[in-house]
Parts: sequence; C-alpha cells; structure tokens
Amino acid sequence: MSRGLVRGAVVAALVSGLAACGGGGTGGQSGGKELTFWMYQDRTPQAGQVMEKVREDFEKANPGVTVKLVKIPKDDYNTKLGSAVASKSAPDAGILDQPLVSKYALDGTIKEVPAGLIQEADYYKGALDTNRAGGKLYGLPQDQTTVALFYNKKLVPNPPKTWDELKQVAAQVHAADANVAGMNVPKGDGYGAWMFPGIVHGAGGEMVDDAGKKVLFDQPPAVEALQLWVDLQKSSPRKITDSDKPFENGLAAMTISGPWDVPTIREQFPDLDFGVAPLPYKTEPAGNIGGEDSVVFSTSKNPDLAWKWLAFLSDAANNGAVADAFGGFPVHLKAQVVAGGPEQAAFLEQLKVAHARPAVPQWIQVNDEIIAPAIESALTGKATAQQALSDAAAKTRSLLGWNG
Amino acid sequence: MRKASIYVALVLLAAVSVVPFLWMLATSLKHGPDIYTKVPNLLPLDKRTGEWAATLDNYAYVLDVGGLGDAFVNSVWVCAILVPAKLLIDALAAYAFARIPFPGRDKLFVIMLGGMMVPAITLLVPRIHVTQSLGMFDSGWGLIVPNIASVLDIFLLRQFFLSLPGELEEAALIDGAGRMQIFWRIVLPLSKPVLAVVTITSFLFHWNDLVWPLLVTNDPELYTLPLALQQLVASPDGGRAYYIMAGATLAVLPVIGVLLVFQRRILQGIAFTGLKS
Amino acid sequence: MAAPVLERVTTGPGRRARRRPGARRRDHLTGWLLIAPALAYFVVFLLYPALSALYYSFTDWNLRTEASWVGLANYADLLFDDVKYPHFWKSVSVTLQYTLVAVPLTLVSALAQALLLNAIRRGANLFRLLLFLPVVTAEAAVGAIWRWLYDPQYGLINTLLGLVGIPGQNWLNTPELVIPALAFIAAWQCGISMIIYLAGLKGIPGSIQEAAIIDGAGPWQRFWRVTFPMLRPTTFYLLVTGVIAALQVFGLVYVIFSGNGRSVTGGPEQSGLTYVLHLYLFAFRYDAMGAACAMSFILLVFIMIVTALQFRFVKQEAA
Repeated sequence: MSRGLVRGAVVAALVSGLAACGGGGTGGQSGGKELTFWMYQDRTPQAGQVMEKVREDFEKANPGVTVKLVKIPKDDYNTKLGSAVASKSAPDAGILDQPLVSKYALDGTIKEVPAGLIQEADYYKGALDTNRAGGKLYGLPQDQTTVALFYNKKLVPNPPKTWDELKQVAAQVHAADANVAGMNVPKGDGYGAWMFPGIVHGAGGEMVDDAGKKVLFDQPPAVEALQLWVDLQKSSPRKITDSDKPFENGLAAMTISGPWDVPTIREQFPDLDFGVAPLPYKTEPAGNIGGEDSVVFSTSKNPDLAWKWLAFLSDAANNGAVADAFGGFPVHLKAQVVAGGPEQAAFLEQLKVAHARPAVPQWIQVNDEIIAPAIESALTGKATAQQALSDAAAKTRSLLGWNG
Repeated sequence: MRKASIYVALVLLAAVSVVPFLWMLATSLKHGPDIYTKVPNLLPLDKRTGEWAATLDNYAYVLDVGGLGDAFVNSVWVCAILVPAKLLIDALAAYAFARIPFPGRDKLFVIMLGGMMVPAITLLVPRIHVTQSLGMFDSGWGLIVPNIASVLDIFLLRQFFLSLPGELEEAALIDGAGRMQIFWRIVLPLSKPVLAVVTITSFLFHWNDLVWPLLVTNDPELYTLPLALQQLVASPDGGRAYYIMAGATLAVLPVIGVLLVFQRRILQGIAFTGLKS
Repeated sequence: MAAPVLERVTTGPGRRARRRPGARRRDHLTGWLLIAPALAYFVVFLLYPALSALYYSFTDWNLRTEASWVGLANYADLLFDDVKYPHFWKSVSVTLQYTLVAVPLTLVSALAQALLLNAIRRGANLFRLLLFLPVVTAEAAVGAIWRWLYDPQYGLINTLLGLVGIPGQNWLNTPELVIPALAFIAAWQCGISMIIYLAGLKGIPGSIQEAAIIDGAGPWQRFWRVTFPMLRPTTFYLLVTGVIAALQVFGLVYVIFSGNGRSVTGGPEQSGLTYVLHLYLFAFRYDAMGAACAMSFILLVFIMIVTALQFRFVKQEAA
C-alpha cells in the first residue's frame, strides 16, 4: 500500500518535473491562443497606453487570442534576444534591429513574409527595404526615423544646404569665437561610422553594392565625405566638442541627431534656440534610414496569427499612433503622422531621400571594427581619407570574401 | 596632533567619495530643466534663479508608474533567501576545505578555483540552457538556484578559517565534539568579521545584478529592482536622469541599511578577539 | 597572556592518536557531505557550462543555427588573423596595462583607507560608511559623475590642475590617458577591498602591536614589521582576486564608454577596449559566440598561469 503511494508520488514528481522542462517561458494558457511579442520598453507612459489600446483592439478583433507584450530595455534587447534564440525560447514575434534582419533571415531564424499579407506599394520603400535580404521580404517596418542637422539659431541664422556652405558656416562660427566649435563632428567610433553612409549618399555614392558584392567606400564619394569631416574638424577642435553636450550648451553651433533628441533638449535646455534642417549635401539630398522592424520567429507556433498582428500594427489605421509610440514616423503611406513641433518638417523631408543601410550580415562588425577605426585615423591625421578608406576596403573585401 | 592629521585625511577622502552620491541625491530631487548645468549642482537649485527647488515628484513617478514597488519586493525576497542560503553553503564547504581532511580535497579545491576564472560572460548562454532544462527558466527559482554558491566566497572563507588558531578546535575534537558542533559553536562565532564581509559583498552583488535577471526572466512580475529601473528609465531618448537617480537612490537605501547592520557585526568580531587577548 | 593566539597550532600526530577510532572515516564522510551542495552547484552551473563553452570554442556558432565544428580555427584566427580580429592584441595590451596600473593603485588606496579608519575610534562608523559609498552608488551615477570630473571643458579635475598651472587634458578622449583615468576610478571604488583589509586589521591581536610598542618600534616600523606581514593572507587574497577581476574588467568601461548613443567600441582608438569588452562584442554584437568562447579560454589559461605564478611567489616568500 504505502509502496504504491511512494511510487505514485515519484511518478507525479517526475511528470511535473518534465512538464516544467517543457514549459520554459512561453506556455500558452486556457485553450485560447497566446501570442508573445517582444518590443523595446516604452519611451513614455503615453506610448505604453497606445500599445495597450492597440493590443486590446487586436484581441477584440480576434476573439480567443491574447497578446502578451514583453518590454525589454533597448540597450539589452539584442543580448537577451540572442540568448533566447540560442536556448530556443524566442517569442512568436518581436522587434528586430535593422542590421540583424539579413543575418537572421539567411540562417532561417525568422520567417519570410507570406505572400499577400500586405500591399508593398502601401509602404515607404526605404523602410520596407530595411527588411529585405537576398531580394526577399522578411519583416514589416513599424516606424522609420532619420538624422538631420541641428543648428543653434543664434550662431547659425540660416542653415547650410551644401557641403561648401557647411564648411564656410562652421569656419565663420569658430573664427568669431575660438571657444565655440563650428560643428560637433562625428567621431571614428561605432556611432560615427553608423552616420557615415548618409553623408556618402549625399555625394551620390554608396558604401557597398550588396547584390554585386562590391565594396564601394574607397571610391571618390566616400573619400570626399570623409574629407568633409576632416575639413570640418579644423573649425571644431575636439577639446571643445568632447565636452558633455556641446551643442546643447552652446559650445558647438551644429550637430547631427534625430527626432528623439528634440523633446530632451526642449525639456533640459529650454533656453537653447535651435532649428532642424535636412543634412547638407554635395550632389543630391540624402540621409540614413533608421527605425524599428518586426519579424516572426521560425519557432513560433502561431506564425499566421503573428503576421496578422504585425500587419495590424503597421496598417493605415494604427501605424500613425504605433510609429509615434516607437519614437519615429509612420511607414504606411496612408497612416496619419502624429503632429509634432516645427522641426518635424525637416525630418519628414529628410526621410523622403533616406537610404537603407547595406544588407550585409556582417555589417555591424564591418561598421565597428573596420570603418570606425578608418574614420578615426583620418580624423586624427594618421592617414589621409583615401589611404584610410582604401585600407578599410581591402580589409572588408578580405573579411567578406568579396572580389570587387 | 597625529590624530588630527588622520581626521583631515579621512575628511578629504570622504569628500571625494560622497560627491557622486550627493549628485545622485540632488538630481533625484530636481525638476527637469534644472538637472543640466555646466557645472553640476550638488543641491537641487533652480537653474535660473539659484533658489532652492526640490521636488519629490520623481519618486512618486518611479514608485507609481514604474511598478518599482513590486520589483522592490521581489528583490527583497530573492536576496532574503539567496544571501543566507549561499552563505551557509559556502561556509560549510569552506570549512571542510580548510579543516576536514578527506581524500581528493585539495585537488578538488584547485579545480573549483579554476572554474572561478572562466569569464562569466561566456558562461551565460550555457547557464541559461541548464536553467531551462531544470525547468527554472522564467521563475523565482531561476533567480536563486543558479547563484546559490560562490567559489570566490568559498575561497575567502577558507582563507579566513585557515588563519584561525586551530587549538580550540583540536581541544574540542579531543573532548569528543563533532565537526558540526565545532563549526557552529567555535568556527562561526570566531568568523564574524569575514562572514559580515561575505554577506555585504554578496548582498551588494545580487541586489544590483542586472544581467542574470534580465536573461532568465520574461515575466514582468518577476522583475527585480535593477531590471525594473532599467525598464522604467533607460529609454531610447537617453533617459530622464532625474528618474534614474530617484530609482537609484531608492535602490541604494537598503544597501546602506545592510551596511550599517553588518558594520556592527564587524565591530563585535573585534570585541571578541579583544576579549581573548 | 598573548602568546597562545600568536602561534598557529599544527595538528601533531600525538594528539590525533588520542581521538576515538573511526574518526578519520567519519571525517571523510562529513567532508564530502559539507561540500556536497557547493559541489553540486559547481558541477551544474559552472563546470558543465564551462565545458559546453569549451566545446563551442571549437565551433563556428552564431547562437541561432547549429554549431559547426571548426577545430582550432577560432584560436588560430584570434592569435594570427588580424583581418578577422583586428583588435584582439590591442585588447590584450589594454587589459594588461589596466591590470598593472589599477590593481596596485586599488590595493594601496584600500589599505591606506583601512589603516586610517583603524586608527580612530570616534566617527569610525560614519567614515567607513562614507568611504564605502562609491561602491553602492548606482553605476549610472558613477559613470555620469566621472565623465563630468574628466570633462575637458568644465571638469573639476582640469579646474584643479589649472590652479597649479598644469594645462587641462581631454582625459577620456586621449588614447594615452584612458587607462590611467579608468584605473583611478577603480581605485576610488575600492570600498570592498577596504572592508576586507579592515577585517584583516581587526584580526591582528592588539597584544602584538603592544609588544612591538614595548620593544620601542615606531609607527612606520610597526607597519612594516607587524601589520603588513600579518596582513599577508589578506593582501594575497586581494591581489589574486584583484588581478583576476582586473583581467576581466567590463562594467567600468561599459559605463564610461557606452550608452546614450555613445560608442560601444571601446573609447578613442580602442584605447579602452578591454579583453572582456572585446569578447562581449563578439558574443552578443557580432554573433560570433564560438570565437567569444575561444577568447574566454585563452583568457582562462592566462589567468591560471598568472595565478599559479602568484601562488608560487608567495610560497617562496613564506619559505
């Protein structure tokens, strides 16, 4: 009798242990379908409310479905996602950093967008392109953003439109007051290298031709773009621009940044009179595209539902609010832009000419480990712009195994 | 005269130590526009008028909107279970390694020390695998069990146990006392200073640990304080320093409490050695 | 009155013989039982993860697809392929320099603070708490305040240097100055070492100091002849763990050089790219977990050699 009891208890313990093993994180409940969606933490409480409302609307439209929003600090998102994928506990769907889309697509970690889910013509091309790898679409954009030129109106009454004007204005500012830098010139670090392609496009160039497997950033447009930064630095000593928040404190007359900085500056530096203008260019207006993409993971048990959710977020009715909650602009052409301050026009104009970054799986590594040091060696005068970029291009070809 | 110069040195050192803390406190009490000044204000002053302008709004916000309260409770119970359990496990092992001869002991100790030297970052992903196959992923156990011992602490405790005079224990052994009795009645009371040190460092570490809770939990109800803080304030637009600092100040207060309590323990340890000599 | 505490009594065979028979066998059992929980933890959460990391170090693994065996390629590429890993050796040299500067600076600072605290009675609690504050202050606050202290335009450090006529430096943006600047912050956060030293100091019986005073030793002599030798186990512990921690330094550089759109690539010209930051970038930013694991085992071997040398050195000293 008692032995039977013991055996029963052991079996029960084993079964519950096994059940716990299988459970691991994303267990669904109560017969209905549960969808887990990972996203960055809310930027503001209002953004949280927007997402909450969209979630409720979706659940109402799809009875029996619960959507679980898991919000993760942005700085730690990729680390957490990487280890979740490694331990097979990835969510059904989630936000994915633009440069990661091609990586995840090529090794089958994420699913291809099913045919007929969306009308591609309804979306901004640049934003949609950030979801492509090998010509196929692997995700839906949710918002798009870009960087533009911030200028101090007291020091720069009229924002420069071209590179020549930019250099001239920067030199004038520094000549008038040696303690003020013309511009907060990007540096040779990961962030500076990230900005660089937008400048190269402004001279009519490209970083790479990923279809033809050719490295192009040793060509004249890129060399000229780097030379621009080198020239600008003459009127923008680092001793000034390396101090904390030089633009906000009036120590640098211009800087490059995105819409996310506008409310922060308004709030913390109410006295700063600044404007935002599209980036100056050499031959054609251009810039970088940023923003959030969303994908469905291959391990999802409800991929159709997950795609439905992503399409819902990015459709004409919701995307205006969703994109605003994410801190960018809508990706759906018919979505309503949430009205913002006077600087919004400059960002929207910039977005029209913004380009997606190269869809090369190792791009982050190339960006950080090869291009950033090359930029730095030109900016510190250890090499000319041409030398630095030729050297970097050779390394990139070798790393990627490209010939061109 | 000598005393005076010691105090002068201490005051100078303490001043350097306290500045960031004061800055954290002051920032947590400031209104948005006042936080950024060219030279940091160590007092919550209005940026333009220079008048006193402290506010508790930031605290109300982080407690109210941020769910910092729940996370606080989680952190408390995780530490309340983890720190004593870990201390016990480590002290028992350290005592065996220091005092009880058994075959293979020293080799085993060296192997464990070797394990301590593998950088924690590489172990993260395999550890999550293990936690998951034990069924502890995304659960309270996952926050506790994978941290339940520390080779470093065992090393520190063992060093200390080795430095204790052995004769008391020898005498007790000869009188027929068991190893466990000796451990509880003689070794632990003699080791108060080092136990206090280990408790403080392990509490500090787990109270502030961000990476492990981040990777091992998905459910917001399990979030610990550092995770909730990060969640609440480190927003993509650069964060609101005054919220960060309000949350950080709340997080630091219990640490100071623990520190005060265990300082007294360290002092008791001295009293004990003083009695003996 | 003081003599017995001084000598470390060793267990002579004569004494042991008087214990009851069977005691040794019981000791074996007790020993294993006492270490059992720690051993279980070690096997499950350290040894097994370490062995799987070792396996991954021989593979090409991006965390998402199955790891594919590449033999020693990761190790060979790390050490010799400067296209694939252009900053590997840079990160080694940064870390060594940091360790050589930061560890001694931290120990000296911790010992000095502990000695000062140990010399006073009134206010000791308060000062100990104040000196410990850098350890408990939020990392974000530590990062922010030190970036300000080192700021080239209005940082306090340049202001103070200016008072004595030394020109201000662009501390965190001048490659040569980055390591001293980081080491200084580490020394400032020496609270835990300070507390450990303090515990060590409290463990020195007052009688020994008294005996030295009676012998006519001055404070300086007492420090070198009594205090410092008595603190040897503590110093050794702090040195070993300090070197191990410094070789793995990560949080500090991460706080100083990243966040808020700053670069994660390790400061100006990679001058703050420590070994583990480099490892972290490959593990979680460039998705090269195989290579990251190989890096950690290269580091492990290095740490073991350094630690073994330290142990040997101490044994020779003691002999």
